Amino acid sequence: MTKGINIRELILGILLEIQQNDRQYAHILLRDVLEKYQYLDQQERAFIKRVTEGTIENRILLDYIIDQFSKTKTAKMKPVILCILRMSVYQLFFMDSVPASAVCNEAVKLAEKKHFHNLKGFVNGVLRNIERSKAQIQYPDAKEQPKQYLSVTYSMPEWIVEKWMTEYGFDMTEKMLQSFLQSSRTTIRCNQSRVSPAELEQQLEQEHVKVTRLLYPEGAYEISGYDHLGALQSFRQGLFQVQDVSSMLIGEIAGVKPESHVIDVCAAPGGKAICIADQLQGTGHVAARDLSENKTQFIKDNIERCQLHNIEAVVQDALVHDEASIEKADILIADLPCSGLGVIGRKSDIKYHLSEQQLGELAALQREILGTVQDYVKPGGILIYSTCTVNQEENVDNLMWFVNHYAYQLDSIDSYLPEELHSETTRQGYLQLLPGEHDTDGFFMARLIRNK
Amino acid sequence: MAIRTIREIGDPVLTKVCKEVTEMTPRLRTLIDDMLETMYEAEGAGLAAPQVGILKRIVVIDAGDGPHVLVNPRIVETSGEQTGNEGCLSVPGKTGVVTRPDYVKAVALNEDMQPYELEGTQLLARAICHELEHLDGKLYVDRVEGKLMDVRDVYGDDEEDEDE
Repeated sequence: MTKGINIRELILGILLEIQQNDRQYAHILLRDVLEKYQYLDQQERAFIKRVTEGTIENRILLDYIIDQFSKTKTAKMKPVILCILRMSVYQLFFMDSVPASAVCNEAVKLAEKKHFHNLKGFVNGVLRNIERSKAQIQYPDAKEQPKQYLSVTYSMPEWIVEKWMTEYGFDMTEKMLQSFLQSSRTTIRCNQSRVSPAELEQQLEQEHVKVTRLLYPEGAYEISGYDHLGALQSFRQGLFQVQDVSSMLIGEIAGVKPESHVIDVCAAPGGKAICIADQLQGTGHVAARDLSENKTQFIKDNIERCQLHNIEAVVQDALVHDEASIEKADILIADLPCSGLGVIGRKSDIKYHLSEQQLGELAALQREILGTVQDYVKPGGILIYSTCTVNQEENVDNLMWFVNHYAYQLDSIDSYLPEELHSETTRQGYLQLLPGEHDTDGFFMARLIRNK
Repeated sequence: MAIRTIREIGDPVLTKVCKEVTEMTPRLRTLIDDMLETMYEAEGAGLAAPQVGILKRIVVIDAGDGPHVLVNPRIVETSGEQTGNEGCLSVPGKTGVVTRPDYVKAVALNEDMQPYELEGTQLLARAICHELEHLDGKLYVDRVEGKLMDVRDVYGDDEEDEDE
């Protein structure tokens, strides 16, 4: 009989793809692999997920460790060898269940299989040396080198650490970085036009899913203990939508009234637009727009699954002014492309792809989109601006720029939010959620009313 | 020790029922050594004697937990179920989905003709079932659920040589 598929080789494949191609997103590659190898048992799938995500998430720390022991520095290593070392060191440091000897042996086998016969000794030597000297490794000191300390400990590029230390201070920065490394939970929102929260809870329990009701908003749950979503009948039937609480809050602060006409200018994959269509209870209309056929297809799939009829997915570039939309929207959702610094906990490779220059470019792009779409709102109508980042330029700075340039006013969101989220800024009309402080992704949202 | 030629599907030797081993001989010892070497060289998880053209009830298996030599093996207990891709060194480049028990207990003789028990789950259980069927002239291709596929389509291309 031939050998089964080597799961470590699958992991290496994903890591290499990301290492060599900046445009690949880890979570998509991982999803594709897990989908393709569905016959692997749950334990093997969990191993693939854990090692892949952990290696990516902790890359800076792993490289720091490897560099203490290898004469050839990580920056100069061949990608195959570098990725093998990283995934192996991750297992040595973070997975007690895998014996060190197995980690080393598998790494050596993998190097050989990838035609690096001559580097077997190197891989073996470095790994065994690291394993032996684990306890003696010197890390940067929090007091003396705070920036390097945070960067290495939490694997965050130094320039981001520096920026956050300026914006939020050392302690809050460390809290955010810590929370990014904690395993992210899966939260869902009940599609209440389809089923009541109580019925959904019951059905999920029948499907042996662990369900925990969240404090807010209503109909929000945390789920765990299932193999993959596609296997759940309640998911296939569209009784719920996977969504972070921060994103659900958009549906809350929008203050949806029946018969409203809603436009979401950058909607893919459709979570917020669907949430609002659901709140419309079959009335009104939601136009869920996005740039490409590909992205709108995601929205279409989600709409179809949720069986909603008051929402349609449309291909439309938010940067191109649409005459037909002028003063048509009761509510306009502008959840714009952003640096994603708030969702690093879920998509950990984002942090390595970004540059400072890109942040500036994104803030400018957001302004351009806001300027283009702002007149779609009826006088007296609502504009919701949101991003999934914690970067001030893109958030509060852009918001202030917007109210200074257009005939809009901020509107308090206190009446839509649970009390524990109330603050001076929510009274004014905006909220910055910070991971580590709030139990959500990092997220920014603001509610604006167009002057009559 | 030597690498032997692996017979491929279409060769009538793969459809014959093999004979019990009554006595361990130097020739059979060499055969076992060669089978192990041939299996490792082909990166296989198991090999049965008819696959190298010998109609004796002998198989070798290594599902990652070291080599097992089974002479006159018999399955005495199975339980559970696993469904997954399987391949065979005698059917190169192909793979197909086969359902097998998830646990198997076999009794066999070792290379010194001493009886022992071998228990396995997952890949080892699968390999025991697969190899023992060779001894009765059966190939996994007749058990495949759905289509027999090209390995290339299922697992993707194997890495091209890395030169930098």
